[in-house]
Amino acid sequence: MVAPIRRVCVIGAGVMGAGIAAQVANAGVPVLLLDIVPAGAADRNALASAAVARMLKTDPAPFMSPDAAKLVEVGNTEDDLGRAADCDWIVEAVIERLDLKQVLYRRLAELHRPGTAVSSNTSTIPLQSLLGGLPDAFARDFLITHFFNPPRYMRLLEVVPGPTTDPALVERVSSFCDHVLGKSIVRCKDTPGFIANRIGTFWMQRGVNAAMDGGLTVDEADAVMGRPFGIPKTGVFGLLDLVGLDLMPHIDASMKALLSAEDAFVVNHRDNPMLTRMIGEGYTGRKGKGGFYRINRERGKVRESIGLVTGVYEPSVGAKLPEAASKDMRALVASDDKYGRYAWAVMGDVLGYAASLVPAISDDIAGIDAAMRLGFNWKQGPFEILDRLGPAAVAARLATDGKPVPELLRAVGDRSFYRAEGGEVQFFGTDGAYHTLERPEGVLRLDDVKRRSQPLLKNGSAALWDVGDGVACFEIATKMNSFDEGVLKLLDKSVSLVRDGFKAMVLYTDATNFSAGANLGQALFACNIAAWGEVEKSIAAGQRSFKGLKYAPFPVVGAPAGLALGGGCEILLHCDAIQAHAETYTGLVECGVGLLPGWGGCGEMIQRWASAPKMPRGPMPAVAKVFEAVSTAKVSKSAAEARAMRVLREGDGITFNRDRLLFDAKARALSLVDGYAPPPKPEFRLPGAAGRAGMTMAAQGFRAQGLATDHDMVVAGRLATVLSGGDADPVDAVSEDDMLKLERREFLALIKTAPTLERIEHTLTTGKPLRN
Amino acid sequence: MSGAVIAGYARSPFQPAGKGSLARVRPDDLAAQVVRALVERSGIDPDDIEDLFLGCAFPEGEQGLNAARLVGLLAGLPLGVGGATVNRFCGSSMQSVHMAAGAIALGAGDAFICAGVESMSRVPMGGFNPMPNPKLAEDRPGAYMNMGETAENVARQYQITRADQEAFATASQRKAAAARAEGRFAGEIVPIVTKAGTVDQDGCIRPDTSPEGLAGLKPAFDQAGTVTAGTSSPLTDGASAVLVCSDAYAERHGLAVLARIRSVGISGCRPETMGLGPIGASRKALARAGGVEASQIDVVELNEAFASQAIACAKDLGLKDDAINRDGGAIALGHPLGATGARIVGKAAEILHRDGGRYALATQCIGGGQGIATLLERA
Repeated sequence: MVAPIRRVCVIGAGVMGAGIAAQVANAGVPVLLLDIVPAGAADRNALASAAVARMLKTDPAPFMSPDAAKLVEVGNTEDDLGRAADCDWIVEAVIERLDLKQVLYRRLAELHRPGTAVSSNTSTIPLQSLLGGLPDAFARDFLITHFFNPPRYMRLLEVVPGPTTDPALVERVSSFCDHVLGKSIVRCKDTPGFIANRIGTFWMQRGVNAAMDGGLTVDEADAVMGRPFGIPKTGVFGLLDLVGLDLMPHIDASMKALLSAEDAFVVNHRDNPMLTRMIGEGYTGRKGKGGFYRINRERGKVRESIGLVTGVYEPSVGAKLPEAASKDMRALVASDDKYGRYAWAVMGDVLGYAASLVPAISDDIAGIDAAMRLGFNWKQGPFEILDRLGPAAVAARLATDGKPVPELLRAVGDRSFYRAEGGEVQFFGTDGAYHTLERPEGVLRLDDVKRRSQPLLKNGSAALWDVGDGVACFEIATKMNSFDEGVLKLLDKSVSLVRDGFKAMVLYTDATNFSAGANLGQALFACNIAAWGEVEKSIAAGQRSFKGLKYAPFPVVGAPAGLALGGGCEILLHCDAIQAHAETYTGLVECGVGLLPGWGGCGEMIQRWASAPKMPRGPMPAVAKVFEAVSTAKVSKSAAEARAMRVLREGDGITFNRDRLLFDAKARALSLVDGYAPPPKPEFRLPGAAGRAGMTMAAQGFRAQGLATDHDMVVAGRLATVLSGGDADPVDAVSEDDMLKLERREFLALIKTAPTLERIEHTLTTGKPLRN
Repeated sequence: MSGAVIAGYARSPFQPAGKGSLARVRPDDLAAQVVRALVERSGIDPDDIEDLFLGCAFPEGEQGLNAARLVGLLAGLPLGVGGATVNRFCGSSMQSVHMAAGAIALGAGDAFICAGVESMSRVPMGGFNPMPNPKLAEDRPGAYMNMGETAENVARQYQITRADQEAFATASQRKAAAARAEGRFAGEIVPIVTKAGTVDQDGCIRPDTSPEGLAGLKPAFDQAGTVTAGTSSPLTDGASAVLVCSDAYAERHGLAVLARIRSVGISGCRPETMGLGPIGASRKALARAGGVEASQIDVVELNEAFASQAIACAKDLGLKDDAINRDGGAIALGHPLGATGARIVGKAAEILHRDGGRYALATQCIGGGQGIATLLERA
């Protein structure tokens, strides 16, 4: 058992330090955030206080909830450094200057309790230099923990222990960052830029230079380097705009100073006068006047990109790659046009570079792939890309180009870097043998289950898997995991199968998003041919399926991550418990497309609010809360916020590490098995016409303020009718079935209106809401 | 002549709802601290108090049940003192003054505490269960109309421009800031003990308000309208209390009398322009005092629910500019609904006593379409 970390101190309240402190607070751990005392400041904690205030306004938000911000205590390094000694982990995130860091370390070395971890968030200074002249006892407690920006959202954490760092201490910090902060740990060596930045900066350097050499526009280069390789569409130039152009000269200089003269980064490095000029003129990227791209407001918000030859901004013309090349990186690299040549010029070098760095920067290829996936959001790391392109083909082409072929690439020969063997993933080691990729304890991926077994049930839309210990996992597998007829049919079958042969069920998918809701395309099709009977049937089918889940004789745990919207939220409301990833964005968004929750969401939400502690009594408070959230299509920006919205209930859990979500959900499901009984059917006491009048008035206020449209008023009125129980009298009980009937009736009334259909159509074509 | 006098006035600091330093204080505790301080400061023998009237616009939750009785017990008043909670929305605690004056005239007691409280942090405006009569809501939507909308209606009817409203709001802020800076609230504010420390300052006043700053705000209620958050009174937590006695009792016990209650008035008006309520109510009170003219009124406490309605009422009644809200009004100080009436009666009496003059008028508008007015005369 690793000793827990109960309190953390972060020194340095810049973007990274403050962001790390916020993530610690998000996890419910108190954190002390220190920075220097600004000269002549009345408030000695001004820098740290300003950082917290700034973060409360930043979007995307570093804090998951307002409560998290309260866990950050601010201070300064003159008065409060002594208090750092009371913390179990001290993170240094001050400016990247060795002298300043060392002054701080010397002070920490004097006051820190032996065995308390001290780590640096440096991205460029070697650990060896950081520790120069410091006592051995300090070195035993010291390591590098390199977070990526923004720390809440980027999953990678590079951990670099020194030669004398206490392994137990490394384990303690790593375990905390993994389980509590939700980071995926990649163990690195003390080499410049560690893993992700070493390869990432080389990729950016090659991306910029090769685009200039090959006569590509900024838009073309990013179109090539983005989607086809499974890299975010920002590509190289868009990413530079995001991180800040002015950062590049610093990174270049430090990498050049640290790397050997033969390193490809140094060999390929050249001064870039255009970049220098742009920085000088304030074109530092999104934080400045713009970068390689800018929004020209004088021309009416036109997106422009800079000419790499002319240096003049022109309206950005999205590049269109040939069909085959845009979908298949193999075809792209093979094509003999400027796109193909550019793709190869950059990726060929990057893949060769990555292969040449094993084992220098990582003992194995898996660490490198993980770092690029988690730190740069690549869908696949370099070695996974190599497998797609064929390692032998890449080696041959490098040789043809007269470029060095790294030893590892030679060694793998005609084989691939990864292979599936007996249901396990194996990777190619530097010893020439394949090794099984071990998952840390507590990590369960559905991918692994799927590789090892056949589905219990499966159709074109969903599948049911045996995840062991008597637990079955229901997986949606449609586009954006939307609900269609197939999903509902398989859900019904799954309930029957689990009832007869399993103890519990979890709803989970490895995909980025749990579910974006009902398949609107199918609904629109039915409406366009006026098949209202079909529409009503599909509403009733969803209601039946979800209630079947709710009243099944076994526990069901929903395990959302990413989006869980509309029907995706409603199915969660029918589970016995929710185990949510911390980054869960959920809500009943139906009103946004002119509809209302039709699969039991209205009643379930009322019940959740009505049974919440400290709610005032009477028929309105719960109903008003639901009306407020649903009529405005509110979506949580975190699982913590979903709890405040009562989508998550008191006992529901939040998992920070995405890779641990299924494991935790399964454990939660098993914990409910003993003595499980389905929930009793609720009876509602609802306000009826008076409540509807009250809610309508509230909506009219929004209409007057210009915050609601005419059709919003129609939708709000129908929603108010359902939530108030139709013509219910407050003294009479309304049954769950009555609520479902009301939902169906009012849903159908809305979907028959032209403005609702326009909204649905607009959302389907543009992905954006229509405010009609 | 009612024979009733104002023999003491106290209030809590007024703090913005939600984010202010009274947000975590129960309203019954808040009112009890003010009542206790008023009794102590006035020097009255608590056993002589007949009744405690407590105004509250949304008497639910922590300010529910018969809050007046509970506040009396919390304040340590003798068990023999009664307690009645009074609701006339924003006019609630002024109504409690009228009830006391009426009771004195009836010979039904000598001394009354007329208090008011509202925690708009803890009990939402509209209450926890707003359930309007659907038929009335349809036939007479004004009955439930949002207060901001009524302020827009008044602005339109009286052609009060946005700039006029902003000038009025700026003046209110400036007067309140000056009054605070010169210590003119020190005598009336009761420091409130909270879990997080003692609160002894008002929290709503914005001394740096300027017409330019206000001009940048968006309309709060109607996108085509003129009323903004800056020209409306803020949601506020606060409590207030005045001691109303018969003149004979005050004289017998040597209580410090601030003013005597000369006459009162209540008047209904169109709900859609409820902000005009003070006009009819004040006219009644002035007529009942034997035809006092607006020009004879030296001190006016005209509640500023909204700048538009306050301007309209002042204009219509012909009140003197320099008489109105000398220490600032609700736009600056805040408007804890149930507590405002007692505050402006107490404040009018206190200013009359302080600055001199013969008549003081305290008047306010009331949601649903009413006005209430109290005319005071120098003792």
